[in-house]
Amino acid sequence: MRGATTTKWLVAATAIALAATACSTSSKSSDDKAASGGGSIAVQLGEPQHGLVGQNTAESEGNQVLYALFTGLVDYDRKTNAPRLQVAESIETTDSKVWTIKLKDGYTFHNGEKVTSKSFVDAWNWGANQDNAAEGMPFFDKIEGSDELAPGKDKKPTVKELKGLKVVDDKTFTVTLKAPFSQFKTMLGYSAFYPLPTAFFTDPKAFGDNPIGNGPFQMDGAWEHNKQIKIKRYDNYGGTKAKLQNVTFKIYDNLDTAYNDLRADNIQATNKLPISAMSSVASEFGDRYINKPESGVGYIGFPIAYNPAYAKPEIRKAISMAIDREQITKTIFAGTRVPASDFISPLINGYRKGACGDACKYDPAKAKDLFTQAGGLPNNTLELGYNADGGHKEWIEAVGNQLKKNLGVEVTFKPFEKFGKILDALQGKQYQGAFRMAWSMDYPSIENYLRPIFSKVAIESGSNYGGYVNDKFEDLLNQADQAKTEDEGIKLYQQADDVLIQDMPYIPVYTYQASAAYSKKIKNFDTDAQSRYNLAEVELAG
Amino acid sequence: MGRYVIRRLIQAIPVLIGATLLIYALVHYLPGDPVQALAGEKRADPIVAEMIRQRYHLNDPFIVQYWNYISGVFQGDLGESLQGRAVSDLIGDAFPYTVNLALVAFVIEAVVGVAAGVMAALRKGKFLDQLILISTLLVISIPVFVTGFILQLVLGVQLKNDYGIDFFSVSFNEDDGLRAYLLPAFVLASLSLAYVARLTRTSLMETMRADYVRTAVAKGLKRRRVIGRHALRNALIPIVTFLGADLGGLMGGAVITEKIFNIHGIGGLLAQAVYQKQGTIIVGVVTLLVMIYLVTTLLVDMLYAVLDPRIRYE
Repeated sequence: MRGATTTKWLVAATAIALAATACSTSSKSSDDKAASGGGSIAVQLGEPQHGLVGQNTAESEGNQVLYALFTGLVDYDRKTNAPRLQVAESIETTDSKVWTIKLKDGYTFHNGEKVTSKSFVDAWNWGANQDNAAEGMPFFDKIEGSDELAPGKDKKPTVKELKGLKVVDDKTFTVTLKAPFSQFKTMLGYSAFYPLPTAFFTDPKAFGDNPIGNGPFQMDGAWEHNKQIKIKRYDNYGGTKAKLQNVTFKIYDNLDTAYNDLRADNIQATNKLPISAMSSVASEFGDRYINKPESGVGYIGFPIAYNPAYAKPEIRKAISMAIDREQITKTIFAGTRVPASDFISPLINGYRKGACGDACKYDPAKAKDLFTQAGGLPNNTLELGYNADGGHKEWIEAVGNQLKKNLGVEVTFKPFEKFGKILDALQGKQYQGAFRMAWSMDYPSIENYLRPIFSKVAIESGSNYGGYVNDKFEDLLNQADQAKTEDEGIKLYQQADDVLIQDMPYIPVYTYQASAAYSKKIKNFDTDAQSRYNLAEVELAG
Repeated sequence: MGRYVIRRLIQAIPVLIGATLLIYALVHYLPGDPVQALAGEKRADPIVAEMIRQRYHLNDPFIVQYWNYISGVFQGDLGESLQGRAVSDLIGDAFPYTVNLALVAFVIEAVVGVAAGVMAALRKGKFLDQLILISTLLVISIPVFVTGFILQLVLGVQLKNDYGIDFFSVSFNEDDGLRAYLLPAFVLASLSLAYVARLTRTSLMETMRADYVRTAVAKGLKRRRVIGRHALRNALIPIVTFLGADLGGLMGGAVITEKIFNIHGIGGLLAQAVYQKQGTIIVGVVTLLVMIYLVTTLLVDMLYAVLDPRIRYE
């Protein structure tokens, strides 16, 4: 009877196990209302890529957590995206080159250490040093002395500190830039510019799992990789204190699951919704569904630098006018993207709705005329490249079909397995066709939508993949950099934007919409331009 | 038996070395730049990218990289991911979830599958048999992610929101203990369960017609004893083979089920590592999987001898 007994045993064991777990069902979620002041919630997060160090974090998930743990010199107004002073008492300049930064009193790190000028200067020096291979390193490019700290391949940094940073006293330091840059203040809210406590420098790696910040929340135990990050309110915070007592970032790698957890109120907010939710989320969550512009812009680009077929701006303009943006954003993206009418994202100070004018308006007849007048394309064929791993096939094919219909060209499609492969093919000048491209900002400044994508310097080290060069554009950028005030700068950047609109080096097709949703359990919830939760302001409802 | 086991284990060594070399080479020659992949859709800063390449010796020729890796392995160091986490930590974090999920799924498919198969075989052509045949056919024809999402929505969301029963969690919640594994394990097991049930049914029906079973019945043995001791034991050989191979598969992680229920196990780790082209993680995980397969096939082979005394390994 050996076989039979074993089977019986297994059945019995499973039955006991089932019964045992059934008893523990109702114990969950009862500690939610432990509310020793504020209550606790859980929110959706993806596993951050690196240790939680601002200087080494250029991706959204790590930034999400850092935003709760750290407070920078400035942060951004959620409506206008203009920088607002936080740890900084004042940030002043007379020539946009030398900036004097004064700090407020009262900010401390979670271990009690005071936030001083040195906390910032040391952190920036660490971030700018190539030996640390920090992802945020490019942010220090504009500061004087950054080349000495990042001399490049096979070279060693000759110094340890940025020449351009000077500690004046505990509450004051100055930043000297290589060249004037009127928008420098706008960069300072980015995580690369967060301060670091001295504890960081003794063991940067351990710090990454258990960071000590100066923000409204502090770590509540170390980061539990691939599971959760727990934070709790920091009661000695120097700014406006958080309302919630505890927040758990629950780590997901599938948005559908996170969304179902939100529907069952197991988590209270998510800043990313799965495609499958888009058709029903508005009716299910009502005004607890947030849909607003995000920083991304999607383009069609051309290898202008080496393929003469696309050299004429008229050809590019004709292609632009033959694209029905309205139809693509509505039918393919279900409203998660909206037609672009500027090279700048709508959430940026300096964006002009409709700036692109006729060049971005759908007008097949005019497009065809322009296209024929400009001589069309060689062999009357156009190739469209895209990366096949990012859900781009549908809209690229829709664009292709529109071009086929409206311009009468033969359109072929070229899928690349990864985005990096498009970049390689462009860099090696092997790929001759048009390609999909996108940009999302590093810091909310109009300049960030111009120089990194279309300037001469960005061909070598930035994201100017098309190889567009225009001296007038460069000239205007330089003038704008040197402007005495931010607003004056913005006007000049807009003129540079106008040059792009004339030339159409890329075709702006759509801008991204961010979508978020939250449960009935909380109120005052919102997300910022980088889709980060405003956890410090969230309260339990009722 | 002992010598046989030792011989099998020694055979495993060249298999492991060959597997690591092969996989390391495959990953190395995959197109794509892992450092660029880290930066997503922006071009990685050339200097930062170069520093990361130097730190992880990505510029070295293939054979040097492999030598560095394998000599590290023999010193117990599985290397580091490009994000700076030790591969042993990554596997150590993920593997317990996969093992637990696999074991619960395995128990479900073995117990329920064999039981259903036996019941169907003994009531051949009757209602119960028809029911089991049709329901298993249904399970086989529905893809796992459909079953997974439907059960998650019905049992996780609607049961809680509409009836206030918070038993099955939408996503995996470690604090719930075994209960957290039930739903995902059932989804994971469902397909194999259907196969096991059908396999058991056919196999048992065949042995029931065998001469020795007729002899046993003629001897006047009790029906329970005839089925349990004589028929089922012989009928189990193909099923054990299937279950053994399946256990190896389950241990390799179930990418889809893990993803639906947010279980951060081996399957997800491997899938992501392949996507990001992170050689050290891939080789580490795959080596582990090869070992698991070697051990489970060895166990299955030894089980044969237990089930059928005519099979001897000496």
